[in-house]
Amino acid sequence: MRFKHLSLAALGVVLTASGFYASSAIAQDEQFVPLLVYRSGPYAPSGIPLADGQSDYYKLVNARDGGVNGVTITTEECDTAYNNDRGVECYERLKANGPTGASVFMPFSTGITYALIERATQDKIPIHSMGYGRTDASDGRVFPYVFTLPATYWSQASVFIKYIGEKEGGMDKLKGKKIALVYHDSAYGKEPIKTLQTLADTYGYNLSLFPVPHPGLEQKPPGSRLAGSCARIGC
Amino acid sequence: MIYRDAGQFKTSYAADQAIFPIRQDRILLAIGLLIAFILIPSLASEYWLNTIMIPFLVFSLAALGLNILTGYAGQLSLGTGAFMACGAFAAYKLTTAFPDLNIILVFLGAGLCAAGVGIIFGIPSLRIKGFYLAVATLAAQFFLIWMFNKFPWFTNYSASGVISAPPRAIIGDVIVTGSSAVPYVKYLFVLSFVLVLTLLAKNLVRSNIGREWMAVRDMDIAAEIIGIRMLSTKLKAFAISSFYCGVAGALWAFCYTGSVEALAFDINRSFQVLFMIIIGGLGSILGSFMGAAFIVLLPIFLSNAPTMLGLSISVELISHLEFMIFGALIIFFLIVEPHGFARLWQITKEKLRLWPFPY
Repeated sequence: MRFKHLSLAALGVVLTASGFYASSAIAQDEQFVPLLVYRSGPYAPSGIPLADGQSDYYKLVNARDGGVNGVTITTEECDTAYNNDRGVECYERLKANGPTGASVFMPFSTGITYALIERATQDKIPIHSMGYGRTDASDGRVFPYVFTLPATYWSQASVFIKYIGEKEGGMDKLKGKKIALVYHDSAYGKEPIKTLQTLADTYGYNLSLFPVPHPGLEQKPPGSRLAGSCARIGC
Repeated sequence: MIYRDAGQFKTSYAADQAIFPIRQDRILLAIGLLIAFILIPSLASEYWLNTIMIPFLVFSLAALGLNILTGYAGQLSLGTGAFMACGAFAAYKLTTAFPDLNIILVFLGAGLCAAGVGIIFGIPSLRIKGFYLAVATLAAQFFLIWMFNKFPWFTNYSASGVISAPPRAIIGDVIVTGSSAVPYVKYLFVLSFVLVLTLLAKNLVRSNIGREWMAVRDMDIAAEIIGIRMLSTKLKAFAISSFYCGVAGALWAFCYTGSVEALAFDINRSFQVLFMIIIGGLGSILGSFMGAAFIVLLPIFLSNAPTMLGLSISVELISHLEFMIFGALIIFFLIVEPHGFARLWQITKEKLRLWPFPY
């Protein structure tokens, strides 16, 4: 019994102390991370789990590790509905929040990234566009506030070719092969083309490009066009 | 009671034909201008100027352009977004080709380019009317956006197909475009541009051109019989409307977003502007501003309201509440007054002038 009381008291002391520690840590070190999420709108089915995962991860880091090196992370969500205008509005709304302002923006949409690059560079707030956004922003000399790690449209395109090469039993086997890119006919859909063309020159495969227009831009159904183009190259 | 205009005598033709014949309106306007030019730039935060006031003004200008065509000349158009895109891309091409050209001239040139395109797509309006014309302007919407997307010349062969507004100064080193411009300078620039064009539009619709438009709108056969030339009247409406939309598009790309792709001016943008003038009031200058305020500002206000009230509601609930309240309000206002906010304001004013015995 006595031992139990003692241990309970000890636990209480530890808890209180850690509570004090945590609260003083919040006052001293706190970083604000705005979360641009899309929980509504046409893309919500993919946006909701992504947003839940993000906020859960920050909660986990704060609860388990007491933040990153003792710096806790506070977050606030803003719903962009995957819409560029709303994304810009969210950016302007959240950029000055928290004790130090926003530490980093992750737009989770190439369109919003495009719209924010100039503003964020002006405001000196980093943008982390992981796997989307402008690939040429990887050159830090031109875009000092945009980060594209761990992947870009270009790196993903070269991974595709590498994978196909491995499947075929060596990169030299790609010579004379036909590789087609079916892409969204927009600014970001065109991003991998240059990489695939350069690799086509290196490995000697034939690259065919099939743009799929954004719904409502062209009156032809994309399916029939693809079938027609595919019949032309023989696939 | 506050609107009683007893004792305000007009002793000259000029006074009789003033834009604001009632003294109270002139005082209200002066207060409004004072707030817009002095109070807002000195008090509003960067968030307010950049994301609320500038898009509101740009959309007001676009709505004004469409109102000239649809509200005054009676030609239904779904090509507003495309004409805005014309202005944005023309301004970009002009200012990159002639970097020393003053930005005001660039914007006016962009408006002229859009006006030229508007005339071409306005030609079918001589033969087709109503919904059929709406479909013909839909062709402009699809064709132009496709064109800007398809030919890299329009974006100066940018790999991403996005145009970024270069910083341009109005005089000396007062930069008004791009994201390096100071928000309140940008705001004042947009405000002045919109105000001058509004004043022009107001005088245009009071002139014989405006009367011709309204005659064509109300009954085109009767208008033709009394000697109004259909072709030139309708094409003038298309040209001037597209000019306004083009300048709005240029302001959108250069002063609001700073970088823009053709898809930003898709069919949804056209619908958005059309809803503004339907809710604000067809055939009313003031209605264009009221409609733009309703469509642009209300959703932003609704999504900020729970935080302002200190309620902690999850963001998806806020988004969905915003859709529901916004939709309900549109239906409510269209039932209360199908002719829009401008008519509502007019009725209120008439009743106030007869206070305390309105009928």
